[in-house]
Amino acid sequence: MAHLTDGTLRRMVDDPDARAGDAAAHLEGCSECKGRFESISGDARSIATLLVVPETRVDVGRAFEHVMSERKSKPAFGLRLPLIGPANRPLKLAFVAAVAAAAVVVVAFAASGLFFKPTTVKTVPVTVADMQALSQLADYGTLTWTKQPQLQAATSAADAEALAGMQAPVVSNLPSGVSTNITYGAMTKAEAVFTFSADKARAAAAAQGKPLPALPAGMDGATLTITVGPAVGEIFGDLKQPAAGSDPSQISLPQLIVAKSSAPTATSTQLTVKQIEDYVLAQPGISPELKAAVQAIGDPSTTLLIPVPVEYATSKDITVQGAPGVALGDNTGVGSGVIWIKDGIVYVVAGSLKLDDAIAIANNLK
Amino acid sequence: MSTVGSEDEAFEELFTAEYARVVGIANRVLADPHEAEDVAQEVFIDFRRLHSATAQYAPAWLHRAAAHASLNRLRGARRRQKREVAQAVEEGERTLDPQKQVEVAEDRRQVRVALGRLAPKPAAALAMRASGLSYAEVAQALGVGIGQVGTLLRRAEAALRKEVTRGTSN
Repeated sequence: MAHLTDGTLRRMVDDPDARAGDAAAHLEGCSECKGRFESISGDARSIATLLVVPETRVDVGRAFEHVMSERKSKPAFGLRLPLIGPANRPLKLAFVAAVAAAAVVVVAFAASGLFFKPTTVKTVPVTVADMQALSQLADYGTLTWTKQPQLQAATSAADAEALAGMQAPVVSNLPSGVSTNITYGAMTKAEAVFTFSADKARAAAAAQGKPLPALPAGMDGATLTITVGPAVGEIFGDLKQPAAGSDPSQISLPQLIVAKSSAPTATSTQLTVKQIEDYVLAQPGISPELKAAVQAIGDPSTTLLIPVPVEYATSKDITVQGAPGVALGDNTGVGSGVIWIKDGIVYVVAGSLKLDDAIAIANNLK
Repeated sequence: MSTVGSEDEAFEELFTAEYARVVGIANRVLADPHEAEDVAQEVFIDFRRLHSATAQYAPAWLHRAAAHASLNRLRGARRRQKREVAQAVEEGERTLDPQKQVEVAEDRRQVRVALGRLAPKPAAALAMRASGLSYAEVAQALGVGIGQVGTLLRRAEAALRKEVTRGTSN
């Protein structure tokens, strides 16, 4: 048997589980390994002594109260926190969230008889209650996917590009520390039709014990056809939890997501922009703040709204590659994102990185 | 509402189970119980902002965040050194003669300066293990195999040993 590694010997110092089997037998009979073991355990003891600290006595109850009294929006404290998550979750979530957000926004604000194609982006602060209220829209009609979105992960840009039918974005200035292990993802173009129903709306309102906001004339039976995608994106960093015993230098966590998608479009019948906007904002549960913010945004037929939970993020308008965009997050490295629209394509750069880095990546994205 | 309630309850349970351990990790790095509590509370506030308390990875996330956050503070804080020496003398081996006390204090200062200079992973492994986490817990927090923990500890201890001139092996 070959000599034991330093790591194995170190573990044998204070892990009873390691002091068994072949390794223990080898140590017993190998004077060289014994000598190294003595030296390694001596170092371990010395360092342990130097790291001795005064005992802490914590008041858990008081500490808990303090933590709960902090607003969730308190800025993070200037360091990159680890992101550990179940395998593959980021990829699916990123696309599903993007699609869901686009669908909700388009359903809510598409133009009547006009071809809706956003040319600029704005953020709208929303509360969780606002989002839940928007999801009630499903009670006011039926949503049918006429073309289901297909989501797929791929190991090469070519595969993803083939599925999406568009070129994958290329990051030309990856910040140091971001993994170069890339997973590609693609989504095919999807199409859904939402049909308003006065009967359903009345039933939904009755079930909640709330009065139905007055339906605009022509709302009953009006259809909204929404298209989303295609989209293609990349995730930098491993998606899977490392296997036990794998090389630690190979392990990194998703740090950056870059994606682009055709801007969502919608065509509708029988209704005007103003009517739909007013109708949506009159739903029970929509806060006055959201209403005011949405009304302040301007022409909803050209603006893609990005809902930002009020507790979680700050946003500002920026220009990316000469096009209007918004930046979310801050420079703590906990999380930030940049979204912009150029030539009918929505681009997203986001991750557990500093906002300045995200903006730099966005400006150099090809 | 019930979702919010149960999330808060889950967070309280997580907090009760892990707070002392998170403080312990930070204290092992900073050798300052008050500052360690500051770090621990910031870690929990950040956790709550970003994650669900029912997530399986919650304890591992907290342990790793505590190690990294306190190591970051250590790197940024020269002001610590003076306080630490004073504390070591005050609470240290009163049975030792004054000369020895000063030496131990100096070694403790050096070992923490060196800890701040180490690569993050070995440093975090050492801090977590020294504060009582098991090999399996350290492995989970750092996302490495259990076999790698010994290697990380050895790397950290060998580097620190070189930096400390006198040691404590009287």
